[in-house]
Amino acid sequence: MSAIDEFEAAREDLEALLIEVLGTVAGEEAMPVWDDVLPPGPVVSSRLAIHDEDDDSYTMVSIRTSSIVARVLASRMLLTPDPGPDDLLDAVGELGNIAGGNVKSLLRHSCRLSLPTAEVTENDGAAHGDSGVTVRASVLGQVVELTVDVAGDFSALYWPGSAPAPDALGSRP
Amino acid sequence: MKILVADDSRAMRMIVTRTLRQAGFAGHDIIEAENGKEALETVVRQSIDLILSDWNMPEMTGIEFLRALRAKGVKTPFCFVTSEGSEEMREQAQAAGAVGLIAKPFTPEAFVDILSPVVTA
Repeated sequence: MSAIDEFEAAREDLEALLIEVLGTVAGEEAMPVWDDVLPPGPVVSSRLAIHDEDDDSYTMVSIRTSSIVARVLASRMLLTPDPGPDDLLDAVGELGNIAGGNVKSLLRHSCRLSLPTAEVTENDGAAHGDSGVTVRASVLGQVVELTVDVAGDFSALYWPGSAPAPDALGSRP
Repeated sequence: MKILVADDSRAMRMIVTRTLRQAGFAGHDIIEAENGKEALETVVRQSIDLILSDWNMPEMTGIEFLRALRAKGVKTPFCFVTSEGSEEMREQAQAAGAVGLIAKPFTPEAFVDILSPVVTA
């Protein structure tokens, strides 16, 4: 079974994982969605990797959501009515960290988890995560995507214990 | 009590602090650290009664922090609050001397279950 087949077989577990993480962190009911996609516009995303040192393979876990959800998350997590750009990155980075840790517990037990990196990009409406498995949930009427993949840029990720402290939350490992 | 919360996410440090209160453990002094190295320096500088630490952090991981503490003979109760809750990690945490591991996402009830023996309400 290929890694992608393995992710596909775990699709329902990944959906349940995303629902639970979102429900707990956002404090709002989250529902699975299948046809909804992120609308064009600013998207806040985080990604991290799970490294299997036995065969030197990587699994990339990423979270993408609208800046609206990111703002609500940051506001609730940090108890501030007007979160700044760094707060949005911190909130979505931590959401990705929680999701990544749970994906590791689900699929990649004895592996190494990187630290999350978060960024704001512009969603052009193009399909995302075509080579991997993407599950989606709706919270606050907005879509949140969780993608598990074997492809991605692993070189720019930070690893626990070895990374320098970030100068700014924008490069938050 | 003086409680040290170590996590590289400011948002998560605030959530841990808030969840402590929701779990009924209010009124304690909370001290924060952004990574294991900073947390270790804090414990060396001042007396801490309980440590709640993330596992994956830059500079020094939570497990490295715990092992460094125990190597120095510091017996402060230590609990992980981390996104990975596998049985393997729980065993590693216990073997290193942690009182428990709380997996994210967590609820106040999880804090009560694990921290009641070491925190005064």
